[in-house]
Amino acid sequence: MTVYISGILIACGLFFFLVGSIGMIRLPDFYSRLHAAGIIDTMGLLLSMSGLAILVLNEITLGNFLSALKIIFIVVFVFLTSPTATHAIVDAGIRAGLKPWQKNNI
Amino acid sequence: MKILGKITILLCGSLLLFFTSDFPDFGDANSPASLHLSPYFIEHTLEDTAVPNVVTSVLADYRGYDTMFETTVILTAGLACFLLLRIPKRAVKNRYYLHEPTGVTLRFEGDKYPQESDVFKRIDSSWVPYDIIINFTCRLLIHFIQIFALYVVAHGHHSPGGGFQGGVVLGASVILFAISGNLRAAIKRFGEKTAALFSATGVFIYAGTAALCMVLGENFIDYAALAPILGSDRIMARSHGIFIVEIGVAVAVMAVMIWIYYNLSSAGKQDEGL
Repeated sequence: MTVYISGILIACGLFFFLVGSIGMIRLPDFYSRLHAAGIIDTMGLLLSMSGLAILVLNEITLGNFLSALKIIFIVVFVFLTSPTATHAIVDAGIRAGLKPWQKNNI
Repeated sequence: MKILGKITILLCGSLLLFFTSDFPDFGDANSPASLHLSPYFIEHTLEDTAVPNVVTSVLADYRGYDTMFETTVILTAGLACFLLLRIPKRAVKNRYYLHEPTGVTLRFEGDKYPQESDVFKRIDSSWVPYDIIINFTCRLLIHFIQIFALYVVAHGHHSPGGGFQGGVVLGASVILFAISGNLRAAIKRFGEKTAALFSATGVFIYAGTAALCMVLGENFIDYAALAPILGSDRIMARSHGIFIVEIGVAVAVMAVMIWIYYNLSSAGKQDEGL
């Protein structure tokens, strides 16, 4: 049962990875590409990592529990740092005077 | 003079490249290193030093001289940056202060300037606005980064890690603090003198441990001699000796990273910078 749940979660996470990487190439400007990159780091990582944590907990022992805990830690820290990094990059872009893309300025 | 230098570099480079053709290929099973040294390390590490991680035992025990002078090289890099870049704070011509109650920015030239206080806040001349999101996240994470660094240092015996890696992570935590806030706040907490002292102390811990072995009547860097001091048998003493040395490496690497960062980011003034 846990195998199926984790499989579905990992597949959903990979879907977000795909969407994010397509967006990084296809979207028109710096800021919207960063938005796509942010999806990969948060949603894709959350889903695929929680899938892996459930897969590890298939057989509950102390070692497996610790592994799952470490995976959860990875998710927590990436959740804290990745949006901050995206924010910092956007902030630097705006301060350097990069105009956001609009319909009429290309 | 420049042409002479270029010719020398080209000659040395071509000589080095010419003689690399005599080296054994990568992964060559018949090279002397794979025939004699590697099997010995792989087979005897655990019974010689009680360290499961072969890399750590080779790095700090079997080839301890190499690592000791690597640490010295790092100290030399820090010293070189200091000697090349450092200029006195007097060289700072203009200082900008924000008077908080009125919101006025004042510029001071020369030697007379107010003390920094709650009312007068020093700001950089290439002003970076105070960013509360980045500042808060970094403050939240720095503790965890430092704990992780200590884990990496202490866990070098069993997993990838050790003094160099842990020291770099420790240094990076202070550099992150300097980037997220400002350089002066970081220097207030981990000053230049502290950095210089720590980088020398790290090398001293390494060389001192090695010399202590000689004082106790064995070879230089033969940690088995430390057994009576550490109160363990000779094999465990080698394991503990590696750990002591790793701590020295971590201290040196951390301090030198921070020291180089201070000098590079502020162009040697250690006053305004990233």
